[in-house]
Amino acid sequence: MENSESRTAREEWGTRFGFLMAMVGAMVGAGNIWRMPFTTGQNGGGAFLIAYIILLYVVAVPGLMAETMIGRYTNRGVIGAFDQIVGSKRAGGLGLVVLLVNIAVMSYYAPIIGWALYYALHSFLMTFTQPGFEPQAFWDGFISNPALVIGLHTVTMAGVAGVLVFGIRRGIERVVKWMIPLLVFALVAVGVRGVTLPGGMEGVAFAFTPEWTYLTRGSTWVAALSQALFSTGLGWGIALTYGSYLSRYDDVPLGGGMFTAIGNTSIGLLAVFATFPIVFAFGIEPTAGSNLLFISLAQVFPELPGGAAWAVLFFVSFFFATFSSGLGITEVGVTTVSEETRLSRSGSVVAVCGIIWLLGLPSAYSSSFLDQMDFMFGSFGFPLSTLAIIALVAWKFGPERARVIDLNRNAGLYVGRWWNPVVKYVVPTVVVFILGYGVVTSIGTENQTLMILGVGLMIALLVVSTVVMSVVGDVSDSAPEPASEGGD
Amino acid sequence: MALSTVAWITMILAILALPGVASVILIKSLRTEERKLRLLKEQGTIDSYPPRALRELREWAQANPNDPYAPEARERYNECVRSLREIDEPYYDWSDEEIAELETLEE
Repeated sequence: MENSESRTAREEWGTRFGFLMAMVGAMVGAGNIWRMPFTTGQNGGGAFLIAYIILLYVVAVPGLMAETMIGRYTNRGVIGAFDQIVGSKRAGGLGLVVLLVNIAVMSYYAPIIGWALYYALHSFLMTFTQPGFEPQAFWDGFISNPALVIGLHTVTMAGVAGVLVFGIRRGIERVVKWMIPLLVFALVAVGVRGVTLPGGMEGVAFAFTPEWTYLTRGSTWVAALSQALFSTGLGWGIALTYGSYLSRYDDVPLGGGMFTAIGNTSIGLLAVFATFPIVFAFGIEPTAGSNLLFISLAQVFPELPGGAAWAVLFFVSFFFATFSSGLGITEVGVTTVSEETRLSRSGSVVAVCGIIWLLGLPSAYSSSFLDQMDFMFGSFGFPLSTLAIIALVAWKFGPERARVIDLNRNAGLYVGRWWNPVVKYVVPTVVVFILGYGVVTSIGTENQTLMILGVGLMIALLVVSTVVMSVVGDVSDSAPEPASEGGD
Repeated sequence: MALSTVAWITMILAILALPGVASVILIKSLRTEERKLRLLKEQGTIDSYPPRALRELREWAQANPNDPYAPEARERYNECVRSLREIDEPYYDWSDEEIAELETLEE
């Protein structure tokens, strides 16, 4: 076992504010701005929010504490953390799975950032308030133009690479420190405007009036569980990676766990406030699904007084949310690649962003391919990744050992023994349940083939990653010891 | 349209449970960082565990002497004890009596 005091010489966050904004920015993404409002709409409004808040505190907060802690403790990326805690290069295969899932997810998320960028740019061009603007035709024209979508995907990856090449403090931190407060400001402003619209309060009533019967439905709890788990980014490797750049004097439970989960969800709640009053004021279907943002809401701005300015606020904030998540997801790969290879940080940025760009071309070309990728990796890749990271703390490091040695060290919030069973049993059970639920509910539906493909792909990823890391371990074991260990 | 009482309650609870708690945590976290940085600048080091957590660390290290992480636990425990003896102002809520009673563990 390696003593954590022999921390590798690497960058640290400049300020806690920067770290907190980066964590929230990395997790908030499209999942909160876009998914939370329509998931709330589909699952009984206030009933869903109640279930969601309960599960957020019971599952997501303790889980994020565990993930951030393992990052700060090991001071390494996803592969190195597994390698160090398990004490075997082969175990790094699980870290490799986390890395590959992140790269796969970013490959189809980057085109979505490109969509957000396109809408943000058009909001500046006042397209949405021009006479005769047709949101459905605008969307169809955009999404059926592969050259345009691929071009935006390319611009997105160039932008992500441009930020990441400057590192943690001068790159990510500098960007998110103003992006996230602006995102919050924009959502609050749009929310205030929405509730003051005639009929806007009906949206608030819909969002916050609990339809109690929904609380007795398993589907509401599963939706709340998925949202609580995945919208907080638990198990993606981002909290581990960002946590690995914390100084030894930093706090994990308060910042890495509580603030990240709750702050991020607060933005989701702001998104509900920002969208539902508008949705009701303009008679849009609140359960419109993914179309809610790009098609339904886009039709609102011409009718809204000062609509051009509101469109800018709305779509720019959506772009900020997606872009800051893109930074977090890609950084998992950059940190790991630069640690596990001899590549410099800039070389790792180019390599990782280049691979993501290449893998993202099919998703940028075809939105149905993107949906299929999202189904496979969202339903099976992330639960697998979460299970791997939680298992590392719960079953290998041991929650009690983790809690007494590191979690409560320099903490601003004391974490008691209640944390141990939650991390050891509750979080893994929940993740296995979601994984199983995804499989069972796909049987006999049009998604059955995709489910079989997704499960098969994840098993293949596990096997291949373990074999690759075993081979790498054998090679590095037989290689001569390096003269000294380099830093960044 | 007027909101029903239950909608008001749910909305207020959601705001308190989410943005309310997040704001409090943010302010608290930034204040603790400020204080830590000041103490680190003045003293060069700070105590790293609150009293209850340090007691648990000691109990765990004593109960698991052969655990692979036990040397590290003892090292971290002793480091905190030494810091508490050296510094003028502890970061956590330590009384002079509590500090005087602390003994290092054999490494």
